[in-house]
Amino acid sequence: MNYPVWYLPEIGGGFLIALIAVLHVFVSHFAVGGGLYLIYAEKKGLAEKSVDILAFTKRHARFFLLLTMVFGSITGVGIWFIIALINPAATSFLIHTFVFGWAAEWVFFLVEIVASFVYFYMFDRMDPATHLKIGWIYFLSAWMSLLLVNGIIGFMLTPGDWLTEQGFWRGFFNPSFWPSLFFRTCVAIMLAGCYGYLTASYTKDIAVRQAMTRFSAQWSLVALAAAVPFGIWYVVVLPEQAMGLVMGKSPTIALSVRWGIGAVACFLAITLIAGILRPVWNLKPVAFAAMLCALVAMGAFEWIREAARRPYVINGVMYSNMLKKAEVAGLKTSGFLPSALWVRNREVSTGNQKAAGKELFIHQCYACHTVGGFNNDIVSRTAKMTYPALTSYIGRMHEIRPFMPPFAGTDIEAKALAAYIVGDLQGKEIKEESVSGPTAPGKAVFEGNCSSCHEVKDMAAAMQGWEQKQIVETLGTLDQISEEMTPFAGTEEEKKQLGLFLFSLNQKTEAAGALSEGQRVFAGHCSSCHSPEEMPDKFADMDRTEILDLLGRLGEINDVMPPFKGTPVEKGALADYLEKVQGGQK
Amino acid sequence: MNIATIPHPDTITAAWGWFQFLLLLTFPLHLLAMNAMVGGLAIGVFQHFKGGPLGLRLVHRLAVLLPLVIAFAVNFGVAPLLFSQVLYGHFFYTSSILMASFWLAVIPLLIIAYYGAYLYDFRFQQLGGAGRWLALTVLVLLLVIGYFFVNNMQLMLLPERFAEYFGRMNGSMLASTHPAFLPRYLHMMIGALAVGGLFVALAGRFQADRDRELTVLAQDVGLNTFLWATVINVLIGIWYLLALPREVMLLFMGRNLPATVCFTIALLLTVGMLIVAWKQKFWLTIWHTVAMIFLMSFMRSWLRSGYLQEVFNLDQLQVVSEYSPMLFFFAVLVFGIGCIAWMLKKAGEALAGS
Repeated sequence: MNYPVWYLPEIGGGFLIALIAVLHVFVSHFAVGGGLYLIYAEKKGLAEKSVDILAFTKRHARFFLLLTMVFGSITGVGIWFIIALINPAATSFLIHTFVFGWAAEWVFFLVEIVASFVYFYMFDRMDPATHLKIGWIYFLSAWMSLLLVNGIIGFMLTPGDWLTEQGFWRGFFNPSFWPSLFFRTCVAIMLAGCYGYLTASYTKDIAVRQAMTRFSAQWSLVALAAAVPFGIWYVVVLPEQAMGLVMGKSPTIALSVRWGIGAVACFLAITLIAGILRPVWNLKPVAFAAMLCALVAMGAFEWIREAARRPYVINGVMYSNMLKKAEVAGLKTSGFLPSALWVRNREVSTGNQKAAGKELFIHQCYACHTVGGFNNDIVSRTAKMTYPALTSYIGRMHEIRPFMPPFAGTDIEAKALAAYIVGDLQGKEIKEESVSGPTAPGKAVFEGNCSSCHEVKDMAAAMQGWEQKQIVETLGTLDQISEEMTPFAGTEEEKKQLGLFLFSLNQKTEAAGALSEGQRVFAGHCSSCHSPEEMPDKFADMDRTEILDLLGRLGEINDVMPPFKGTPVEKGALADYLEKVQGGQK
Repeated sequence: MNIATIPHPDTITAAWGWFQFLLLLTFPLHLLAMNAMVGGLAIGVFQHFKGGPLGLRLVHRLAVLLPLVIAFAVNFGVAPLLFSQVLYGHFFYTSSILMASFWLAVIPLLIIAYYGAYLYDFRFQQLGGAGRWLALTVLVLLLVIGYFFVNNMQLMLLPERFAEYFGRMNGSMLASTHPAFLPRYLHMMIGALAVGGLFVALAGRFQADRDRELTVLAQDVGLNTFLWATVINVLIGIWYLLALPREVMLLFMGRNLPATVCFTIALLLTVGMLIVAWKQKFWLTIWHTVAMIFLMSFMRSWLRSGYLQEVFNLDQLQVVSEYSPMLFFFAVLVFGIGCIAWMLKKAGEALAGS
């Protein structure tokens, strides 16, 4: 709310960040590991007195220079540009908090540039020992760049003690600093092997190609094996919520994990088979396939790391939509619009409800949701919801989906947001539902908790033939149905109300949502042991008076049946209902 | 001026003077590298179209150096952009978003230009006549990037225009209609041409032992370009000064004593610069120019604070002191400069040996 939003509704900022960031990290990690690879490739050439291997190393150094110096360094600046355009508040926060970390990284970037130029342009023109020292300076400065950026990125995921005590160093050496650093170092070396594998595939001399293919494959495999324990360590230090998301609570992360594992498996297979066992099979298409696998694996890792922070951009400090955690409670009371800088509608009125809702959408939802785009489209995400359902959901979305930020605004603003999404984007009618009857509370609970994913008719189909007791029990174990779901977290009363509503969906005697009082009494007092279907037989040929009489002496029918504990009015309503379900013969 | 859309700044970790010092220390380095890049390439393109064997030898030297100066122009741009964001980030982020579509375009344009520069260098002979068109394309791309940079630097100084955002939320605003924009852009680019002339002359000097003719041509072309571009730039500078808002212009006319003194020294230095360039005093011209670029950076800083004086001054930034990271940075800087000096020394020895 402090900054304007670059609004490209169908594209979304997240996509642009992901596009630039994934490509950058794929090259920038190579820029680190590749420096070490060049040193050892050159040493191998010198040790074996192989002019051909040295020529290979020089050719690889040229490729390395062109890729890292141009694409790597400019996309690095590109990440800085794009994060400042998409999330200026977080960028400003990180720049101001870690300015001298960034400044030190700039110095190492400068050393990298000079070292890479000297290394490449002085190949064959400098004595080998000095040339190798230049290579080491390059690698160490590149690794220091990684170390510095790693500390700041790690802070975003695991700020740790910084949340209570602040301070540069406390934030920098955060809980994920070391596992992330070692993991990324392994990844950088693995990628160096992968890129070396690619250069080897372009080598015409068969002997050199095979030698450097195997050399590169060994690099990748050793680094990949070393990355595993550091990866596990990395996951272990994650905060509880982030770990939950990584382990399957977030559908997008679950998908990324599957893609990542698949890509690593393919990469492993290619490297083992066409790298170690049969290096002669390292042809250009095979090398490019390995590169693609590595890119997908790297992209999946970065996506998982980014997504694991949700709903925060800086964990525990600032939400993805630039709102600080500390200010949300106040905004719920005072309202978002009056205190936001970059909005035109300062309050919601009948004349501007949807326009104000659109501004709320832009500032609170657009950070993650597009409008009609392919990435997290708000239109398709809310297609099943009505205006009351969405209004109710907005107020509780952070509880139902813990990876979403809470709505920071008043109830009136929540309605305005819902009106914009349902009215303008869905084209549906904006109507306040005045529902009453026994299932109304349960319906409200459903709309607030379930309607973002489930339509009423789907639930009716899914629970056909279920008893109310079974529905209520299932609500407590929803995580057993799907990892994406959590057990119903409302009160016991809400659970019963929701159970009644869901149960009522398949009751043919009454329209859903408008059950009789008798049916409500039945559901509350009888349905834990009896289904409505068995009632017609039990009460066949009985009139209302007889049914009432029977309800007064239930203990005589069966020892385990408790006496009816409802009020006389409820007993009357239940008698009416039972008379009706048994067919109204009398 | 009460502008509701100016964001609240974040706190800073050291007194603002440190960041201003680092900004003014590093920005002239960026200007020097950027000027060598744009001006050197412009002269190279002209010489390439002009042709002739000696001219082409000079052009080839410039083509070899181009990717190197691009790398340093980018790197030396990172530090001042960082320090200026610490001080003026709330204006800079805002203006960047207002012109986001153009601002982000800088990245792909720069990648294309950079690869074009490497292609021009590595395939100079094979490209033949096509090389000049490639070089011209790279030059145009760099000029376009400069155009976007000047737009952003100007737009961040115009908070009164920020509200136009509500009519164009897709990041398509520019500041090029502002009266000061065109002279500012031309002042920067013609200045780049002038300094590029010195870069060409310097590049020629490095070949003095191997190609005396080339050295003479480079000095002749370089210093002449410098001289005439500087004369033109003086006129553009006057235009720029007059195009400034009156309150800002008056800062240099006595209203702000340090700014006025700086402006006066710059005027005297300009005269000296033209004289030594006319007399073909190469190193004197270089040192005058370096001093001039530092003075220009100082004046640019006053200009910025002058534009924003009604809505913001640096004293408003809240300081939450933490100096150990700054000491760490200075230690890294000293270490880095040492490493670079050692590597350049070794490279120089290797080159002398070969």
